[in-house]
Amino acid sequence: MTQTLPGATAYRAVAFTNGYEFAQGAGYPLPEYPFVEPPELKSGAVLRHPVVIVGGGISGLTLACSLARLGVAAVLLDEDNTVGVKGASSRGICYTQKSLEIFDKLGIYDRIAKKGVQWSVGRTFAGADEVYSFDLRQQGAFNLSTQPPFINIQQFYIEGFLVERILELGHVDLRWKSRVTAFEQNEDFATLTVDTPAGSYRIEADHVIDATGSHTSFHQWCGATMQSRRGDDRWCIADVRFSKRPPVERHTWVEAPFNENRAVWQHLMADDVWRIDYQMAPDADPDTVSREDVVRERLARQFGADADVEIVWVGSYAYRSQCLDSLRIGRVFFMGDTAKIVSPFGARGGNTGVADADNLAWKLAAVLRGRASPKLLDSYNDERLDAAQQNVRVTNRTARFLRPADGMERTFRAAAIGLARQHLFARSLINTGRMAVANTYTRSSICEGTGGQSVQNVAFRWPDNSPGAVNDLLRWAGSDLLVLVFGDVSPAAAQRLQQLAQHAPVRCVQVVGPDDRAQALEHVRDPQGHLQGACHVFGHAWALVRPDGYLGATGEAVDGDLVSAVECTLGLK
Amino acid sequence: MKSNLNLQDADGFYEQLLDAHAGLSAAESELLNARLILLLANQVGNAQVLRECITAAKARETAPSGPK
Repeated sequence: MTQTLPGATAYRAVAFTNGYEFAQGAGYPLPEYPFVEPPELKSGAVLRHPVVIVGGGISGLTLACSLARLGVAAVLLDEDNTVGVKGASSRGICYTQKSLEIFDKLGIYDRIAKKGVQWSVGRTFAGADEVYSFDLRQQGAFNLSTQPPFINIQQFYIEGFLVERILELGHVDLRWKSRVTAFEQNEDFATLTVDTPAGSYRIEADHVIDATGSHTSFHQWCGATMQSRRGDDRWCIADVRFSKRPPVERHTWVEAPFNENRAVWQHLMADDVWRIDYQMAPDADPDTVSREDVVRERLARQFGADADVEIVWVGSYAYRSQCLDSLRIGRVFFMGDTAKIVSPFGARGGNTGVADADNLAWKLAAVLRGRASPKLLDSYNDERLDAAQQNVRVTNRTARFLRPADGMERTFRAAAIGLARQHLFARSLINTGRMAVANTYTRSSICEGTGGQSVQNVAFRWPDNSPGAVNDLLRWAGSDLLVLVFGDVSPAAAQRLQQLAQHAPVRCVQVVGPDDRAQALEHVRDPQGHLQGACHVFGHAWALVRPDGYLGATGEAVDGDLVSAVECTLGLK
Repeated sequence: MKSNLNLQDADGFYEQLLDAHAGLSAAESELLNARLILLLANQVGNAQVLRECITAAKARETAPSGPK
C-alpha cells in the first residue's frame, strides 16, 4: 500500500539541531490535552510555586512524573497541547536499560515493553562485508537487570504514558498551551510570564527547570555560556512500513553501496515502523533529499524496486554538539537538550535527559522536605554536567568517524575499515555510535570514592521467597536513602542502623544469602549474589543507594564511615 | 615511551619500510602509513605510551631527547 504525500512542504531553514524537523509524510495521530484556565488568570493573583518545569518533552515529563511519585507539588508549562511535535516524527526511538529502569520505577515500563520492540543485536557493515557485531545479552553488564538492554519505541508514546501516569498520581499541575515569554530571577525567587489562549499571567517559582529543548530562550535570559560545534554532515530519515521484514537488529553501514558509499542506519520501532536514516552528501540541500521521488528511489536502491513501501514520515536534519558550562544558573536548572545537544548516534540524547530528570527529582524532594541541605541541588550540576561532557565527547568521536575531514581523517578511516575485515582489533575502531550507558559520576561532591556507579534493577527474593527487584526497594524508600547491609548484622551494628534510620532520611535493609538467618526485620534474600554484584561489593559490606539508583558510597563495617557517607550524600558535609 | 633503541634490527626495519612504499602513489603511501600506524599502535596497546609517542612525533622542531 502506498499513500500520496502532500506537495513540497516548506522546509524551515537548514536546522542545526538534533531535532527532526517535519518535512513530509503523513505523520502520526497524537493525543491532545485540554487547556484549563489556571487559577492565576481567574484571580489575578501572582502565586509562588516550589517547582515550575518548563517544557513537556521526555525530560520535563520524566521529572514531573518523578516528582509526582514522590508527592512533590509542581507546575509544568508546555507551549503545545500534545506530546511529540505536531505532525512530526517520533524524534528519539531507542531507550536504554537505565531509562527503562527509571520508567519502571515510575510505573510505565510495562506499557513501554508491550508497545515497543526489544533488541540486543547490532551489526555494522562496510560495503557488503559485516565488520562488527555485538549481542548485548551476551555482555555481563546488561544481563542482570529486570529490564532488557534496549527497547525501541517512538518517543511520543513514552511521553503520552508519562502524561497519563502524572494524571493518575496527581501533585503536578500540567498546563498546556502555556508559553513562557519572559523570565527574570533574583536572590529569592524567579518570575515567569506565561501566554495562554485565555490571556497572559505571571507565576513565581523557587526552582525553575528548563526542559524546553534545543530552541530554548532560557540560555539568553540567564546569560548561559556554552561550548558549541557544528559541521556540514546532513542526514535524511525515512520512517517506513513495508512488506519485507528485515531482522529485528540494529544495522548500520559505514559505507553503504546503496547510498553512494555513505552511512545508513536501519532500526525497527513500534507499529512495524522502520527508521531508515541516510547520510547525505555534506551540505546537501534538505528540500531535494527529502522529496518523495528522491526518497523512494533511495529506498528502492536498498530494498529493491519491488518492496512495497509506505512512507510514514520523512525528515532531513543536521546536528550540532553543544554543552553548557554550568547546568545551574541561580534558580534555573537545565536538563535534556537545554543542558547539552549531541548527535543522535548511540542514543545519548533523550536517554541522558531522562537520567537528568531522575537525578534532580529526588534532590528537589529531599530539599523541599527539609531532609537535605539546599547545597544538594548543586550536585545536579556536578553529576549531570560530568555526564553531559562524557556524552558530548563520545558522540563527537562518532560524528568524526562518520564524517571524517577530507585528507588524513578519511585516510585513517579507510585504513581502519580495511584492517577490520582481516584483524579483530580494528573492528573496535569502527565507530557507528557507542550506545548510551548510565554514566558514572567521577567528580561529584556527594559521592565518595566508592560511589558514583549506577545500581542495576536486579532481582532478589523477599523473605517469603517471592521475587522482588531493586526498584521495589527504591519505590518503598521514596526520596529516602537506602542502606543495604550484606551479611550478618551484630547487635551493636543493628542498634547503630536503627539510630541512623531514626535521625536521617534513611531506610535500612539487611541482605542475606539463601540459607542465612536474618537479624533485621527488614531483610531480603540474594540467593545468587546479583544484588551484591549490582552494588559492586563483596562479603560483609554496606551499600548506600540513592533514590536514583546510584551508589553514594560503599563500605565494610557499620560505623562512623556510614554515617559520614549519609551526610555526604545529602549535601550536609 | 622508550627513547633508547628497542628495535632488534634498526637498519633492516628502515629498509623494509622504504621498500614497502616503493612505487606507491602519494595516496597509496598515505593509506599504507595509516594502516601501519594502526597495526603498530595495537602492538603497543598502552594508552600512556601511545599518547607520549603522538606528542613526541608532533614535537619534531624541539631538541632530541636522550644523552647528548
